[in-house]
Amino acid sequence: MFESIRASKNILGMNARNLTYIRPHNLKKAKRLADDKIRSKRMLKKAGVPVPRLIAQISSKRTLESFDWSILPTSFVIKPNKGLGGEGIIVIYGRKKGTNNIWIKSNGKTITAQELKTHIGHILDGEYSLTNTPDTAFFEERLKLSKTFRSYAYKGIPDIRIIIYNKVPVMAMLRLPTKESGGKANLQQGGVGVGIDMARGTTTTAVQGKSKIIEYVPGTRLLLSGIKIPHWDEMLILAIKAQEASGLGFLGADVAIDRDNGPVFLELNARPGLSIQVANMAGLKRRLERVEGLKIKSAVRGAAVGKNLFGGEIEEEVESTSGKSVVGSVEEIEIIGKNNLKIKTKAKVDTGAYSTSIDTELAKSLGFEHVINEFDKIDLINYEITPKNEKFIKKAILSEHKIPDLIDVAVVFASSGSSIRPVVKIKFTMDKKTISAQVNIVNRSDLKYDIIIGKRNLYSFLVDVSK
Amino acid sequence: MNVTDFSPIIQFLLEQQLNLDTITLLLLFPIVITIVVVLRQVIGIQAFGIYTPSFITIAFVFIAQDSFWDIKYAIAIYVIVLFVGMGMRFVLKKLRLLYLPRVAINLTVVSFSVLFTLAVAGYFDRTGFASTSIFPILIIIMLVEKFVTVQIEKGNRTAIILAIETLIIALIGYTILSPTTAIGRYMISLVLVHPLTVLLVIPFNIFIGKWTGLRFNEYLRFHDVINKIK
Repeated sequence: MFESIRASKNILGMNARNLTYIRPHNLKKAKRLADDKIRSKRMLKKAGVPVPRLIAQISSKRTLESFDWSILPTSFVIKPNKGLGGEGIIVIYGRKKGTNNIWIKSNGKTITAQELKTHIGHILDGEYSLTNTPDTAFFEERLKLSKTFRSYAYKGIPDIRIIIYNKVPVMAMLRLPTKESGGKANLQQGGVGVGIDMARGTTTTAVQGKSKIIEYVPGTRLLLSGIKIPHWDEMLILAIKAQEASGLGFLGADVAIDRDNGPVFLELNARPGLSIQVANMAGLKRRLERVEGLKIKSAVRGAAVGKNLFGGEIEEEVESTSGKSVVGSVEEIEIIGKNNLKIKTKAKVDTGAYSTSIDTELAKSLGFEHVINEFDKIDLINYEITPKNEKFIKKAILSEHKIPDLIDVAVVFASSGSSIRPVVKIKFTMDKKTISAQVNIVNRSDLKYDIIIGKRNLYSFLVDVSK
Repeated sequence: MNVTDFSPIIQFLLEQQLNLDTITLLLLFPIVITIVVVLRQVIGIQAFGIYTPSFITIAFVFIAQDSFWDIKYAIAIYVIVLFVGMGMRFVLKKLRLLYLPRVAINLTVVSFSVLFTLAVAGYFDRTGFASTSIFPILIIIMLVEKFVTVQIEKGNRTAIILAIETLIIALIGYTILSPTTAIGRYMISLVLVHPLTVLLVIPFNIFIGKWTGLRFNEYLRFHDVINKIK
């Protein structure tokens, strides 16, 4: 219960988004720019951010009447300038063969110039505009689906939403159009959002609509995690540049990938949605707090900071799918010895060793002093330490000497000298997992760590040597 | 309650020929709005903005004054207005008309259906409901434009959900403020005896306006994420 309340402090809710982030950081002027697609297009282009090419615009009934339809290329998109949530957009794939004024829409149906004219009339009347006031319609080039996403996207073009705050990319998701969303990449309309690991640009977890967690592309067996987003670094930098140019302090940047031209900036969003947190299975609020007040000098620097701070979800992903925790080569552990004696220490995690060894002194503190003393009394010189003799040695010692808590004898062959060591049973807790282990006792006083954990006790861990 | 129990402020207003209903509703209105604010900002019921649910609440209080269950007529008008409005949009879509004339036709049909409903209600049930003032009904009709706008922008599903949420808010507001319920009567006597207590909604709203916690529905929405990070 308390944990849930604490965890919920990581989540950005609507109230905090509006009051703490949008209100002070997205000033009215910048918001108006974001809502005006033609103007933001011009602004971004000037700032060196690639945008889909503007073909023509129609801002009055008169220009609509006199519009020369023949200037249009074979494929294009019609958009309302101040549209909201992808409404009022028509995507034209090409001209119908042998005709001049009949086009084919993205759903395969045809549309005539007359019907397009009516649609544009509606746009001009403000039917799709944010404020229901008269609007402008414009034609822009149609982006082509990049190869990477061909099998993932239903009809439309997937795009990548990146939240930029204080010039740092804090969270991102890949938005895939689905059948339910009618080819639109909008989550509210049933699109799929896939979380992205900021460091690697690789997808992690996914959500469909507002909160349904999914693993596969709807209706297929295509896994949504592990998709490598092409041009990842370039996209982060584009998004940061767009923030600098637009003046939106808290920006939802939409970037798409064109088959021919690579990353293209689609849209500025002054009120980015919150579902990105579900797609990433992570909270935005804590991330925003972490980049608050950082002095970021350049877009390249901002991208590097974002990647460093917010990468690593892949690791948790591995943990949750394999059920194993990822540990480093040195880990903080707690050892539980005899009579529940507990000692905290640092352990060397070594997949090159077979079994686990602990230092004599450590073993004494864990309550095994009597084992060591008794074992020292045994005259070991009589035994010839060879692999062939191993079984015999164990049997002989264990049957001749009854030492309490001595559960086994280890015969270790090492280049530095082979030895016979006492084995006792302990438990240790590493990365929240408690492992019961048989460990041999040896003098490690000249070594840095007083315990080394070998393969035998590492079955429930994965070792990341870079950690 | 006697006039002599009222606050001197109210008595003064009555001496200036103000209607008691008007005074009561004007004093209740800040409370209505605040209820809507709490339901939206803290609970997370979205509804159609803040005005629509508030006005609908007032309309409900106004329509069902005599007995609590008269609210069924108010709900009936609400539902009919929305259904006709929604249905007409589909019919009119085929005509490919410009937006404003289309809304005009839509509202014309809505007006006639309300007229028809009132006639039917009057015929079967002579409680005086059929002679309800036009204003609460007009307020409900105003909902159509709001509804159609949302329908265009966010789709039918969202529009219907928001319409249901608006109805829920209005019913909660109605229960708290209608003279037909005990709590409503208490609220009414409170505002008439101590009208200035209504001003407490201002500090309360300042508090809500600065509050950045998660809304109740966000705990549900982000339930999986919260469990994952804890």
